[in-house]
Amino acid sequence: MVFSVQRVIALNKPPAFLFKDIAGLHEASVRAPDTRTVEFTLPKSSSPQAFLSILAFSVGGVVDPDEVASHQSGQDRGEAWLRDHSAGTGPYVVERWEPESQVVLVANPNYWGPRPRISRIVIRHVPESSNQKFMLERADADIANDLTPEQARELGNRPGVRIQRGRTLLLVYVGMNVGHKPLDNPKVREAVRWSIDYDGIVQGLLRGNAQKVQTIIPAGLFGHNPATSFRQDSSRARQLLVEAGFPDGFSVELLTPTGAAPGGVNWADLGAKLQADLGKSGIRVTVRQTTQAELLNVYRAQKGQMVLILWGPDFPDPDGNVTPFTDYEAKSIAWRNQYRDEALARLAKQAALETNPDRRRALYRQITEKVLHEGPYAVLYQPTLVLGVRSDVRGFVWNPMGYAEFRTVTK
Amino acid sequence: MARYVLRRLLAILVVLAGVSALTFFISHVIPADPVLAALGEHAREDQIRAFRRQYGLDRPLPAQYAIYVRGLLRGDLGLSIRTRRPVAEDLREFFPATIELASAAWLVSLAIGLPAGVLSAVCQDRPFDHLARLVALVGASMPVFWLGLVLLGLFYYRLGWLPGPGRLDVHIAPPPDRTGLLVLDSLLAGRWDALGNALAHLVLPALALGTFSTAVVARMTRSAMLEVLRQDYVRTARAKGLPEGRVLLVHALCNALPPILTVVGISFGNLLSGAVLTETVFSWPGLGRYATASAVSLDFPAVMGVTLLSAVIYPLLNLLVDLGYLLVDPRIRYG
Repeated sequence: MVFSVQRVIALNKPPAFLFKDIAGLHEASVRAPDTRTVEFTLPKSSSPQAFLSILAFSVGGVVDPDEVASHQSGQDRGEAWLRDHSAGTGPYVVERWEPESQVVLVANPNYWGPRPRISRIVIRHVPESSNQKFMLERADADIANDLTPEQARELGNRPGVRIQRGRTLLLVYVGMNVGHKPLDNPKVREAVRWSIDYDGIVQGLLRGNAQKVQTIIPAGLFGHNPATSFRQDSSRARQLLVEAGFPDGFSVELLTPTGAAPGGVNWADLGAKLQADLGKSGIRVTVRQTTQAELLNVYRAQKGQMVLILWGPDFPDPDGNVTPFTDYEAKSIAWRNQYRDEALARLAKQAALETNPDRRRALYRQITEKVLHEGPYAVLYQPTLVLGVRSDVRGFVWNPMGYAEFRTVTK
Repeated sequence: MARYVLRRLLAILVVLAGVSALTFFISHVIPADPVLAALGEHAREDQIRAFRRQYGLDRPLPAQYAIYVRGLLRGDLGLSIRTRRPVAEDLREFFPATIELASAAWLVSLAIGLPAGVLSAVCQDRPFDHLARLVALVGASMPVFWLGLVLLGLFYYRLGWLPGPGRLDVHIAPPPDRTGLLVLDSLLAGRWDALGNALAHLVLPALALGTFSTAVVARMTRSAMLEVLRQDYVRTARAKGLPEGRVLLVHALCNALPPILTVVGISFGNLLSGAVLTETVFSWPGLGRYATASAVSLDFPAVMGVTLLSAVIYPLLNLLVDLGYLLVDPRIRYG
């Protein structure tokens, strides 16, 4: 355990920020006083709750020091070898990894817990969702996790297959760069939020494969605020624009990624829907589509005007969302939208460190309410993952952090 | 002859130098930063600096190009930003799948296109000719993506006659990897179960990918054969009372081969580079999928590796076609 945590910190690759920046650890912060105890020393400025969440996440996974050392290349602590091998303590080990094709996992004979019931798991990359549906119906696949809303509806009536919904912690939102006029005006941002047909997106475009969420902590995480204050009200939006000094509306560019958005709709369709919705309030939107990699480059450089994108927390704690969405200095989402509110950032820090659950919940309530009305975001929805599962498969649970544990699965 | 081949190979090197310079500078001047795309949301300044140093991105552009060319001369295409492996290693892994698919599609185009073209010419303006021309027209206009989905929907999903996407069924263990070509590796290892399964998996993608080339080969064969069938030597052969089969295959087809060979050679190159959509539809882990994923991730070393590989293949195929003329037309000499 000590080796594994120190390894992540020493490698200093992007995931190290969870231990180094969020938990405030360095290599000397972790030690094992005896064979059954691991001791972490956290600075007072780090949130114990966030740390526990990080420890339970993939970056806290334990690797075998001897195995890793025997495959070390230079100073990489086995990183290159671990790209297609495993040396962990989980119920499965990697038998084979074929890039762009499949990963084959087999039950770990040395697993410390009960041996998993399925001895071999094959995870295949099937980019076409219609093929996933074909394979599921022909029983060539047991689980399909990339179905469109229409395919899920069709499969719902087929024998031998059931539809299982999986929660995600993703939020699909529009970021409004307050450094770009007139988005600096809170009334204009409020007008944007009143322009959007949230129910049309969730029920029409996504066919119900999403939850209407408008605050920055997703449902399922501690501190979620279920408030949905906004619905489409174009006359109210136009009134707000008049009050803000834009009776004739304004023009703005909306950046959207290419491909499919979570929930099964295309980003392009979502962008077109927003263009139509905002157009009803007099906001003339030009949609520009780029690959997600290019879009993030523009967004991170604070050069987006309005950006349609998603966010998922890096660790399952509300701080994984609240700090990025509120703290300009964290150089994340608030920074990209040039949204600077120091009082709010202090409140976020206080909430992260608060150990009393009631007080912590109250702080998050206060933060989410403030961002809902004053922030530079229009949160559109929290997508639901639609999985097609063969009827004889039992015990399959989708983890909202975006993975599944196969040790509970039987067939 | 040897001098001719040498001259052509040198010309390929010149093409390669031009393509490498062009792709290198284009990919480095477009306003997109691969570093943030590779390191993700939380990269810190020191990590970004280390990454730039590792990939030589902190140096001036001409110096970067010099390093790249030096690597090329050693067969080193650089490190892929996305997979973090040497690009040459990635190409070795992905290219065989594409060669296997393109070869199968090529065989389909020859096996169907050549006889259809010959028969069409022989039966000019008769029902078979009209039908073949109509089928060729439809085949040449059909989008491969749509055709792939239709073939899968019919022969895999509805009828269950052929296997679904991928190169092998999940319950078939792959043969030991020697060439990366599953059919050949299965043969070499005597793994008949894997051989049968790999061949069955090839049928639908090869049909989808090969349809366009089949149509082109059929049309070219028909027109070349029509041209030759009007020649005096064909009339003479018939007048001498030679069997019609011999007239068609020996006297006519052999003389019609040079233009057909050109089309067939070029179509193999097109099949190799045009497999992107087929590979996506059939979950085929080939070069097309690798190129697309690399381009979307702004993985320039990988994109350049794929481009250079294509830049070698096309002139090589042209050279092979030119050498093939020697076999089919003894009058041709290269000096």
